[in-house]
Amino acid sequence: MADDKDVLRDVWFGRIPTCFTLNPDEVTEREAEAYYLLLPRVSYLPVVTDKVKKHFQKVMRAEDVEEMWFEYEGTPLKWHYPIGVLFDLHASNTVLPWNITVHFKNFPDRDLLHCSSNSVVEAHFMSSIKEADALKHKSQVVNDMQKKDHKQLWMGLQNDKFDQFWAMNRKLMEYPTEDGGFRYIPFRIYQTLSDRPFIQKLFRPVSPEGNAHTLGDLLKEMYPDALTNDGEVKRYQILIHGIEPLLETPLQWLSEHLSHPDNFLHICVVPVPTD
Amino acid sequence: QSMSLSVSPAQTAAWRKQIFQQLSERSKREMDDFKHYEQAIEKSVWVKKGAM
Repeated sequence: MADDKDVLRDVWFGRIPTCFTLNPDEVTEREAEAYYLLLPRVSYLPVVTDKVKKHFQKVMRAEDVEEMWFEYEGTPLKWHYPIGVLFDLHASNTVLPWNITVHFKNFPDRDLLHCSSNSVVEAHFMSSIKEADALKHKSQVVNDMQKKDHKQLWMGLQNDKFDQFWAMNRKLMEYPTEDGGFRYIPFRIYQTLSDRPFIQKLFRPVSPEGNAHTLGDLLKEMYPDALTNDGEVKRYQILIHGIEPLLETPLQWLSEHLSHPDNFLHICVVPVPTD
Repeated sequence: QSMSLSVSPAQTAAWRKQIFQQLSERSKREMDDFKHYEQAIEKSVWVKKGAM
């Protein structure tokens, strides 16, 4: 029987094969060839696309290059969501590789946050970790860490160093045995067809009667329409890291093993493909 | 039939097997045919040069 630690590795080393092509409206001096990369599911677009930027800038004049942004089939991709969440939400049922269009002009201010450097991503990442720890441990663990420990979490993610990251992250995953889990589970539920960016509320891993809450319990409370009732045709897939865990999976276990490095459990609810 | 004491019911639960199985299928689906693609993050090799 495989070990739970293997799940952490599988989650960390998940990759999405991606084909980047330049938006045809960009002004270039010669033809821009597509660029193929394996993107880490748990990272963020600005952190892993230096090569993409360099590749396309080679065929462009400096004055035609503004802030780079990405689009998939007309949807601007939010850099502050983990890459795997963007893929599961917008493209999970398409043929691989994932085709992303690269833009250098007409930045969609209404849809995307600006990202001038990786330090902006780092600030976003650390603020998510702090928010998650506020939910899990009333901020006690993150506040007990030193600045260098925070840096270790970020550098681990930025440089794809699993051991470096988890040496520190395991502290954020601890809880008193008698509690049976974290204070609250940091989770976000995303849906494709909604003006709301995501659902995030307080939810405990254990019921007042002492029973472990499951993924199904969470969805029943937060998004009952996502569930299939008896006799109904399944309308939605519940995706976490590209897989569909059974609804009876304990939420505390999911939070410890299938959370992203930002310590949130990102759950995508996507319509079942019709074809 | 005796079971190893180190295997708790949770470890043999269907939900757990399902997660392992699906992660393995995910690797096949998303990675097996694309191993020739370049990794976005290069694994840096540290070379220390000491002053002689």
